[in-house]
Amino acid sequence: MISIRGLEKSFGDNRVLRGVNLEIAKGEILTIIGPSGAGKTTLLRTLNWLDVPDAGTITIDGATIDATRATKRSIKQLRSKSAMVFQHYNLFNNKTALENVTESLILVRKLPRAEAEARGRQLLERVGLSDKCDTYPSFLSGGQQQRVGIARALAVEPKVILFDEPTSALDPEWVNEVLAVMTEIARDGMTMIVVSHEMRFVRNVSTRVVLLDDGHILEDGTPEQVFQHPRHERAVQFLRQADLQ
Amino acid sequence: MGKIFDLSFMISTIPPIVGKLPVTLWIVFLSGAIALVLGFLVAMVRYFHVRILTQICKVYVSFMRGTPAMVQLLVAYYGIPIFLRAINASLGTGFSVNGIPAVVFAVFALSLNSGAFMSETIRGAMLAINAGQLEACYSVNLSTWQALRRIILPQAFTNALPALGNSFISLLKETSLVFYISVIDMMAQAKITGSRSYRFFEVYIVVALIYWAVCFLMERVLALLERHVRRYERGIVK
Repeated sequence: MISIRGLEKSFGDNRVLRGVNLEIAKGEILTIIGPSGAGKTTLLRTLNWLDVPDAGTITIDGATIDATRATKRSIKQLRSKSAMVFQHYNLFNNKTALENVTESLILVRKLPRAEAEARGRQLLERVGLSDKCDTYPSFLSGGQQQRVGIARALAVEPKVILFDEPTSALDPEWVNEVLAVMTEIARDGMTMIVVSHEMRFVRNVSTRVVLLDDGHILEDGTPEQVFQHPRHERAVQFLRQADLQ
Repeated sequence: MGKIFDLSFMISTIPPIVGKLPVTLWIVFLSGAIALVLGFLVAMVRYFHVRILTQICKVYVSFMRGTPAMVQLLVAYYGIPIFLRAINASLGTGFSVNGIPAVVFAVFALSLNSGAFMSETIRGAMLAINAGQLEACYSVNLSTWQALRRIILPQAFTNALPALGNSFISLLKETSLVFYISVIDMMAQAKITGSRSYRFFEVYIVVALIYWAVCFLMERVLALLERHVRRYERGIVK
């Protein structure tokens, strides 16, 4: 369903992605791991054009975009296929939890307000926050904010949800509540791409792990394959250093 | 030599001076509104780095901030009629220079002046908003315009409000310069009233107190507005 071909991205002299190729099937729960600076977050962010690649093509659910020929329309079409959950939540500060979820329903999907709010309440209930509908983000805990972030992502009914280190800014006690919600979404068959080193999620939920190193895909396989039988010495080193084995 | 300080005279000058308060307030209101729109437009041009216009806006802001408001008033007062006459001469049009009330020049100059300051306030307030807010908008497929209207600008306005309040208060006080271009505002009336009796100190005390009172009211309104726009922020325990 998702096809990434020859993706390249540099920030100045720093080549972050060096020709990444990746095919992801519908319903896969793909976790991207790798050392800091390997390009994990950049790879994720190119998928909804928050970072603009220098070369390569991305196809999500039939919407194809070529880095060298991107138009406003093709960007909009690509973005309509995905939603993102951010490390620092990035909830709309001036909107309540409910408004955070309904904003895209009203502005993009053009639903009537009443219908959008009904849908928004449903989604907040699904992430266990039906009592926080009218609360502004600054009054929510980190875990609650991230669950609103997930509800906001679900609202756009994406083909894939991109998670950028969704638990790494959270206090330990909040990690579980976010992981529980993510696990539930995974069980419902959502395709997910997750940049994370959260081993509980990787072991119990991920169906596939990709190890990115220096802008290349070094390892690609089931969690079992990648963690127990890495094929590259560099991968063994990283897994040992990061205490992931 | 009469009294050192003539209280009853001072009180008697209040009605004529307060009578010109509407002139002052109208200038503040009109210039403030135009300045806000102008400041917003300039801020948008510079926020999005619109080619050519950005350069023009930079020169505009630099000039307006770099020259005294009084000089700007005089340049507008003497310059616009000359400009109109030049247009009349070259295009054969018949704009009447004498038909323009002086207050128009005052509003013109003060809006341009205040707009320059406000544009920097608004631009700064927009830059202060975390890029994550805009990214979140794009991640749920909002257009740039939708993102600005619903998310970025409301937050920028909240950030800008204290400094915009400053600009409005400065504007109120700068209106006291318009008597230089023959507009009869509170300050001009105070000078006229004072010159009849040569008791300037009393009238200036009156005019000072009125400016202060208006300023005080503006501060109250701003405080209420600020409390409203900051409702989504968690207060800090003080």
